[in-house]
Amino acid sequence: MTEIDCEQVLEQVWSYLDGELGENAYIEIQAHLAECAGCGPKYEFQRKLFTLVEQKCKEGPIPVELKQRLFRLLEG
Amino acid sequence: MGATLLAQQRETTAEERERFSALVGEHLDGLFGASLRLTRNRTKAEDLLQETFLRAWRSFHTFRPGTNVRAWLYRILMNAYIDGYRKSEREPEVVDHEDVDEFYLYSKVHESEDFRRAGNPEEVLLANLMDADVKGALQGLPEAFRNVVILADIEGFSYKEIAEILGIPIGTVMSRLHRGRRQLQVKLWEYARRAHYVGAERPSGGTGGGP
Repeated sequence: MTEIDCEQVLEQVWSYLDGELGENAYIEIQAHLAECAGCGPKYEFQRKLFTLVEQKCKEGPIPVELKQRLFRLLEG
Repeated sequence: MGATLLAQQRETTAEERERFSALVGEHLDGLFGASLRLTRNRTKAEDLLQETFLRAWRSFHTFRPGTNVRAWLYRILMNAYIDGYRKSEREPEVVDHEDVDEFYLYSKVHESEDFRRAGNPEEVLLANLMDADVKGALQGLPEAFRNVVILADIEGFSYKEIAEILGIPIGTVMSRLHRGRRQLQVKLWEYARRAHYVGAERPSGGTGGGP
């Protein structure tokens, strides 16, 4: 087992998912999540929730007419 | 002013215009999406994007090639938004849920008998949340939190980039992001409960009065 405990792992799950941890902390948490039956599913849920929020809030591409209108502004 | 100078100037402008178009063009989809999410209104989003585009063009001479063009554009977008478009908006009341932790939603579905009966509570929840639920929850966040959540979770900026875009310390970015995400979970749980994803046909027993 790794030395980091569940509480420490769960506290840092968001920073972990955001890619905002140093390499050592990242590796420790990654190892813990792979082994721990308690933290693993919680982490998986967060990961899926982040993906869901991103997907549901994405908007389609900019309409072509709007894009053309913007570039025409530069010619004025 | 001589004719040669004028012609030279025209040439420079044309060249600049081309550089600007190439640099900014590929970010317009993202900026348009962000404008829509910020203003929550198609017409206002188009106005905001146009304002951003013009401001970027006017200050293009200050942009240093090789630096982060996307962050530069989003900084202009956020400033334009803060200057002009949010004044008329009614700010939702800031209610901080200090008692809510990072796993609020996970805990809630696991505590819910209806969700537990459905077998895989997390999957049932995630599969049933609608676009409108997630957008509604995001829109319901206090502005300071919402802006950071949009930049981090939808636009994918790093904490450091967000700090630069909004001109706030990284610690503030993290604090707003965490509070925003917690509130988002509280709101998503409200939607999930109201929508009766599971157990809708069963008499709820106790609270009663269902449709």
